[in-house]
Amino acid sequence: MKKLAFVITTAPNSNLTATAINMITAALKKRIDVVGVFFYQSAVLNGCEHLALPNDEYQTHKQWQQLHNDFNLPLHLCATAAEKHGLSDDINEQKITNINKAFTLSGLGELVELNVKADRLIQL
Amino acid sequence: MSSPVKSVAIMNSNAPLSKANAKDALDIALIFGSYEQSVSLYFQGDGVYQLIAHQQPEKVQQKDFLKTFAALAFYDIENIFICHDSLIQRGLADNFSIENVQVLNRNEFAISLHQHQTILRF
Repeated sequence: MKKLAFVITTAPNSNLTATAINMITAALKKRIDVVGVFFYQSAVLNGCEHLALPNDEYQTHKQWQQLHNDFNLPLHLCATAAEKHGLSDDINEQKITNINKAFTLSGLGELVELNVKADRLIQL
Repeated sequence: MSSPVKSVAIMNSNAPLSKANAKDALDIALIFGSYEQSVSLYFQGDGVYQLIAHQQPEKVQQKDFLKTFAALAFYDIENIFICHDSLIQRGLADNFSIENVQVLNRNEFAISLHQHQTILRF
């Protein structure tokens, strides 16, 4: 069975993010191995813990958390991009985090690994 | 690293200072280079502005990340391609900030790009 990896570059309110979720869900339901999802650029906002999108909008960030819980899907937030977007697991002395626990902070080296592990790397 | 090598093309289509795309693409190129992956860089559309010499990013409150292009050779990134048609459309001369830039016509550019196993675009 072929293996896929994904690079997401769009924010939670982008239609492309919703499309990515649809693609990944379809792949996982067909038992295609998705070795991981790498969130780069504004896509790191998908991993924000306190995101409050309007109730009548697609709840992108909750869909990612669901995919992680249902399929044990690895979700990697680019550490540098997260930092630039104000996301941190080490805010002030109390070590407060604003990153959801379904997501892991990873270096860009993780993207290299995903590209090598997967037969295809898909960017949205 | 002992991982097998896959050839990666990074396509740049955005001007250097309007968004973070150029910097983000360059960061990825350097990381793939440092993991000894085979990386090629492609510039088309407004992306061709990224390689133009003598830019002053500090005038628009940006760090001069463009000087990092000079480091590509140290990461063994030597395949750097620019679309000739995009240069002509913008009235730009072949005056680049780095050496080893190969100017390709549209067909050559497309054929070269499609020889890669992975394409990332910024």
